[in-house]
Amino acid sequence: MSTTVETGGREVPLAMLRDGETGIVVSVKSGYGRAWGLKKRLMDMGITPGTRITVVKSAPFHGPMEILVRGYRLAIGRGMAERIFVRVEETQAGCRES
Amino acid sequence: MNGRRLVIALAGNANVGKSVIFNYLTRLHQHIGNWPGKTVEKAEGTLHFKGYTIDVVDLPGIYSLSTYSIEESISRRFIAVDKPDVVINVIDASVLERNLFFTLQLMELETPMVIALNQMDVASRKGIQIDVEKLEEILGVPVVPTIAVKGVGIFKLLEKAVEIFEGKLSAKPKPVKYGEEVEQRIERIAEAVRDSGLPYPARYVAIKLLEGDREIQEEVEKADPQAAALARRLGEELEKLHGHSCPTLITSERYQAANCIAREVQRLIPPVKPTLGEKLHNVTTHRVAGYLVMAATLLSMFLFVFAMGNFFSELLSSLLYGLKPFFEGFFGTGFIGQLLWGGVVEGLIAGATIALPYVIPFYLVLYFLEDSGYLSRIAFLMDSIMHRMGLHGKAFIPLLLGYGCNVPACLGCRIMETQRERLIAAFVTTLVPCAARTVIILGLVGRFIGIQWALVLYVLDLLIIFLLGRLAFKILPGEPTGLIMEMPDYRLPHLRTVLSQTWFRLLEFLKIAFPLIIVSTLTVKLLEALGMLSFFTSLLAPVTVGWLGLPVETGVTLLFGVLRKELALIMLTTLLGTTDLSQALTPVQMTVFTIVSMFYIPCVATIATLVMEFGWRKALVITVSEVFLALVLGGLALRILVLTGLR
Repeated sequence: MSTTVETGGREVPLAMLRDGETGIVVSVKSGYGRAWGLKKRLMDMGITPGTRITVVKSAPFHGPMEILVRGYRLAIGRGMAERIFVRVEETQAGCRES
Repeated sequence: MNGRRLVIALAGNANVGKSVIFNYLTRLHQHIGNWPGKTVEKAEGTLHFKGYTIDVVDLPGIYSLSTYSIEESISRRFIAVDKPDVVINVIDASVLERNLFFTLQLMELETPMVIALNQMDVASRKGIQIDVEKLEEILGVPVVPTIAVKGVGIFKLLEKAVEIFEGKLSAKPKPVKYGEEVEQRIERIAEAVRDSGLPYPARYVAIKLLEGDREIQEEVEKADPQAAALARRLGEELEKLHGHSCPTLITSERYQAANCIAREVQRLIPPVKPTLGEKLHNVTTHRVAGYLVMAATLLSMFLFVFAMGNFFSELLSSLLYGLKPFFEGFFGTGFIGQLLWGGVVEGLIAGATIALPYVIPFYLVLYFLEDSGYLSRIAFLMDSIMHRMGLHGKAFIPLLLGYGCNVPACLGCRIMETQRERLIAAFVTTLVPCAARTVIILGLVGRFIGIQWALVLYVLDLLIIFLLGRLAFKILPGEPTGLIMEMPDYRLPHLRTVLSQTWFRLLEFLKIAFPLIIVSTLTVKLLEALGMLSFFTSLLAPVTVGWLGLPVETGVTLLFGVLRKELALIMLTTLLGTTDLSQALTPVQMTVFTIVSMFYIPCVATIATLVMEFGWRKALVITVSEVFLALVLGGLALRILVLTGLR
């Protein structure tokens, strides 16, 4: 399993991604207190380091995000998305912006 | 029968069509209840096949065999400890990778299994082709392609399961090989725990120890502290080696294995045009259109449930009351006859006319929403609002239904994931003024004081719900769970499954609610017949008269209100001897009476539902705290209103 620290691209919480952007999971922070179960749950749903995640859209009023992961559609709360750190694929983001 | 029995368990992710397969297998021989002491539903059924009596247990839909949720713990215990003869692992062919992640864990439990590769039709519509034989070969487990909604492959599935049981078919799962470093350590730990007497396979225990599974860690700690220490030490070694936590490492590698298998067996030819389901998804989760569709759907659902409910309620009521002359002809109109009619039959009628007409359409609508996949979209849209109450989006459904009737609303709390969320949702739901309470609010305050004051009461109610929801969220133990929810592709619900789910849950409801309704009705009628009601009202007088400033007669009405809330108003008119209640009650008294009726206790049918869902203790706590709440609010309202100079 590769654990090399990638240098290319920026590393940001998933919550910062805009609609349509894709990132590769770098790490999932378990956060404070007893949130360990949530981290495990996220990983059980397929959000493990190295996984490609595409943000489809976010619900209004700071609502959950709809993401595509491992070929299916998952909704995750904002708090959860703050804990998932991804490396943004610049090319994809660049394509959208041009 | 000839005693040849076997137990088959159905296991798999949520939304893969497990319940459809269950319904195909067991048809009308089902029993739906709860797992002992848990709010988790247990569906069991039997069928006869090739001389066997087969018990089928439908395990809850889960994504992993960790102990994140009660469902996962229950499923794991059942498979590992109760050891079903064969496990049928239902997997969704259109989301193969994530489903295989679960399959690989089942294989680690070393249970005899067969895989139902379901929703083959959906997969091919999405352009996914799967090489079944290759999958079979890689996993070492028989794989049967199925389309459950059409009954395709179900017979073959059963055949394979029986063949495995008879030993005619070898099902030797080829377990996942983890990376070299991990694999070495798994073997060392497995060696250490081999003789610790745990009900799980040694390799499985070793993996779960490294995965940081609390339940297993505790069990090993008790049975063999040395092995637990070894696992901790080796785990730390791995963490140093890889720079990730050990659970992350194991989960990643397992997913990696699932990914490799999926890639090897499936061919993808993505369709060019977005499917109807995708278009529907985009509209129903749109930031504007989504809410409009939701409002329209919920409104029509609400109207459907209560239009159907009212219609059948009245129909049943007139039908059943029409039986009174026959009944009296049989039992007479003496003491016994009256007691039987008033206590037993009217209790039955109350149950049949309040609960049944609403519960049936509600269940139908709920399963329709759930099975189609729309429920998860509602949760997506409403999550941020419900979050402020410590709940997530799905709780919106029961809360809304509460305005009609609290009984189906409380039943609907099952859609929440954790016990804690179910309890909070049920608690706030019972504070929502149902149709019967609306009768009191509108019939008393609305009619005699003014509709604007009735609205004020509704706002007050919302405020209290919000505050108490937050409070319950703060004080109840357990971690707050954020939303992590699959939004499955839309699909047409399988009608027969929806119908049978409705029917068997209804039976369960009847079994629990009716005895309670009848016993309480009988008790009150008996007290009335024995002339002891006035004794009770005088007992209640310090509260009703002293604290709430109401006429002494209201004690009786509040007592009867427990049976049916709208009865409280009817009785009030009888006892006070006038239908113009403004003659007998001051506006302040009306307001206080209404506030108390709004909050003081869920009706007996709701209490019965709470008992069924959460057990006696929690039902009692909710009931008592709500009585207390109602009295405090009523008393406060009286004092505030008097202070402001109203009379």
